Amino acid sequence: MNRQAVRDPVILPTAMVVWAAVFLFVLYPLGRLLILVFWNEGPSLDAVRGLVGDWTHRAALVNSLVLAALVGVAGTVLGFAFALLALRGGLPKWLGRAVDAVVLLPLISPPFTAAIALIFALGPRGLISYHVFGLTNVSIYGLSGTFLSETLTYFPIAYLTLKAVIANIDPNLEDSAFSLGARRWRVFRTVTVPLAIPGIANAFLLVSAASLADFATPLILAGTKFPVLPTQAFLQITGLYDMRGGAALCFLLLVPALAIFVGQRRWIERRGGSYVTVTGKLGAVTRIKSLSPIAITGLGVLCGAVALLVLVCYTLIAAASLVKGLGADNRLSFVHYAHVFSGGLKAVRDTLIIAVLCMPVGGLFAVVLGFLVARTEFPGRRALEFAAMMNYALPGTIVGIAYLVAFNDPPLVLTGTAFILVVCYVFRYSLAGTRATTAVLAQIDPSLEEASASLGARRDVTFRRVVLPLVRPALLAGMTVLFIRAMTAISATIFLVSLSWSLVTVRILEGITNLELGQASAFSMLVIALVYLAVVLASLAMRKLNAGSLGQAGSLLGG
Amino acid sequence: MASALRLFASLLLVLVFAGPGLAQTVNVYTAWPESLSQPIFKAYTAKTGVQINFIRLSTGELVARATAEKNNPRADVIWGAPGDGFAAAKEAGIIEPYKTANIDKIPAELRDKDGYYTAVSKNTLIFMSNAKLLKEKGLKAPTSWNDLLDPAFKGQIQTADARTSGTALTRILSIYYAFGKDEEKAIDYQKKLHKNVQVYTKSGGGCTVPASLGQTTVCIAHMPDAMEAKKKGYDVVVSFPKEGVAAVIEGVALVKGAKNREAAVKFIEWTFSKEMQDLLDKNNVYMLPTLPGASIDADVQALMKEAKLLPVDLEWVGKNRKRLVDRWINEVIRD
Repeated sequence: MNRQAVRDPVILPTAMVVWAAVFLFVLYPLGRLLILVFWNEGPSLDAVRGLVGDWTHRAALVNSLVLAALVGVAGTVLGFAFALLALRGGLPKWLGRAVDAVVLLPLISPPFTAAIALIFALGPRGLISYHVFGLTNVSIYGLSGTFLSETLTYFPIAYLTLKAVIANIDPNLEDSAFSLGARRWRVFRTVTVPLAIPGIANAFLLVSAASLADFATPLILAGTKFPVLPTQAFLQITGLYDMRGGAALCFLLLVPALAIFVGQRRWIERRGGSYVTVTGKLGAVTRIKSLSPIAITGLGVLCGAVALLVLVCYTLIAAASLVKGLGADNRLSFVHYAHVFSGGLKAVRDTLIIAVLCMPVGGLFAVVLGFLVARTEFPGRRALEFAAMMNYALPGTIVGIAYLVAFNDPPLVLTGTAFILVVCYVFRYSLAGTRATTAVLAQIDPSLEEASASLGARRDVTFRRVVLPLVRPALLAGMTVLFIRAMTAISATIFLVSLSWSLVTVRILEGITNLELGQASAFSMLVIALVYLAVVLASLAMRKLNAGSLGQAGSLLGG
Repeated sequence: MASALRLFASLLLVLVFAGPGLAQTVNVYTAWPESLSQPIFKAYTAKTGVQINFIRLSTGELVARATAEKNNPRADVIWGAPGDGFAAAKEAGIIEPYKTANIDKIPAELRDKDGYYTAVSKNTLIFMSNAKLLKEKGLKAPTSWNDLLDPAFKGQIQTADARTSGTALTRILSIYYAFGKDEEKAIDYQKKLHKNVQVYTKSGGGCTVPASLGQTTVCIAHMPDAMEAKKKGYDVVVSFPKEGVAAVIEGVALVKGAKNREAAVKFIEWTFSKEMQDLLDKNNVYMLPTLPGASIDADVQALMKEAKLLPVDLEWVGKNRKRLVDRWINEVIRD
């Protein structure tokens, strides 16, 4: 790839600014935390020593990897089925959209909501398990429940990723195979799937990574029989008052998490070269016939069942927000919403302010970083890219504590301000925008920028007038993801909320732990509504930018 | 009473001289739900004009946060968290000794011997059962620890995870004291109990909703959890094991290096006034007051007649807590 050299007068200072920011808000807090863990009046491994003997920690490492692999496989298969049905099933447009809206729910709702909803539906005395099927001894806690909940939550990542990939497969290729006399199954096996393989691998890694970092679902559903690493680390800190041990566990989690990210980035890079999608040579689009009616029916049943399950779960959440006390007093009541819009209003306002502040800051950071990584060459470029994704790969609990340790005393005191929350989100969730930027840039010929340069434009002018307009979709996608994350994230920020700045998700967690399920549900419904509004606005803007569908923005949620 | 009066007078003096223009504040970390803590804090503000800013965190998060902030404390007072949290806070060096003027009236088992923390209130363990499920299965509400071992309760008991919840520690201590402080017997019993447990929940009150909704029959939790569920209209029965339950404390402590130390101390003093102690009953906190003579809710009083409260040796707990929890992790739940 054609890269800009170091001697360019704008690149280097820009790179230095980005490096400084990443150093200050990623490496410095982690460094402070490392010192806290491994320095006790001299280098010390005390923190780790106690952990090695504990069977739950050893089991947790294995369980985390097994769970991530299982969720990765199931999520990818399910995502592939949904993508096939959406693109090749010939569904009416409205139905397709409705299914999309439903299956996205777990991905964009606040943590804990999906797990709690699943207990309502499938737990002991759940709506489906007991009231429909009459089962009395259902076990939802452990591997099965965690697996189910995480699969439902994260398969949309695979769905949206694969949808984009399959949509870009030229149907004429399949047609050629048909005209050569191949049967449907053979075409599917030898044409469709191989062309989707990079997408499948990417989807698998994205879903696995999401499962690996998830601590909210196992916290509710895994129980003691199935410990996983992020939850163990959280328990070590908050239950055993052992911050050093918990932090050490998190660093252990960093190894598989970063391996996944490195692997995933490689797939993307490889695809960038040989899977050019915009060729301008697409023939007349033919009617797609690679799926038999029976296959479509099968897919329809599978996907319909999944969508129905999700719909039931969230209907229960909606119901819980609209009655006095679900199960005890099922009379319609708006008390929970009244609470949200009175006592809870400050949290809603604070969250919105922070989420909106994150968007321009994080969007710009993501695009500049993406540009630097994809188009320029300077010392430490790879290291910068690696460092920038560390906050994303680490469990939120540890990022939160690292920020608290680093920014509570001089030289830089930020705790208690909105700034620390904004910064935390920006450096944790900009990765999606960065990825989108590199992906968009990979499809754009650098000769465009060279043309601008040869016409005498300065580097920054070229960036502003040529690159920025071209990466607008990526910027928009990155900002949307940031908004969604800022509205729904909790694990890092629970340590950073302050007397002056509170967050909706913290109120939801509080509601769940305090038997205020109605309130928690009402807050969740509000968050879901706001996020949907943002997604709709973003997809309208995307359409205006002529940049494909909502799918692309959504597919970045996971990465 | 005299000291309370003196305190009141000094508070008045402060008010007169400080004036409302200089709004004083105390920053509080609490583990109590907002519904319980806020009315009490508001009462203090109404009385003194001192603003109470508070953040609600789970006990573990609270201690982790205060520990991370050690060099530049953000909180002045930790108010309303279980005793084991304070034991950890003492060990982490984030609180400092402060003895209230009323210290002599407070029984020794309700305060740290070095004065690092003192009980705001006393909390007890209870069994809370879903009445409908009991009836369906033809069972009676359990009234002995051994009742819970009945195979009919298999997969029908939820209670807290000892790695996240102070309630779980109360349970472990209750069993330890109920079995005559014989640790081996207590562990052995817990292994048997484990076979009937459906899931261990993250928070102490985590099983209240499932028991209320009938997802599980029995929930072993604290008194306030059960009373709240009752108040909300769920059909649940509260019972006690006849062998007894441990009474644990919900404490208060002064944060080391507190920025509003003076105001913080006054707030702590108010905590042990009859006025505040009566609020526990008035506000339906459903815990027992620390100060002898403060009023107690009639329902709670009636219930407490059935309860056998076993006094807890705080010092012993401080030293042995970690071992008990470790044994729970490595022996009880490992199967």
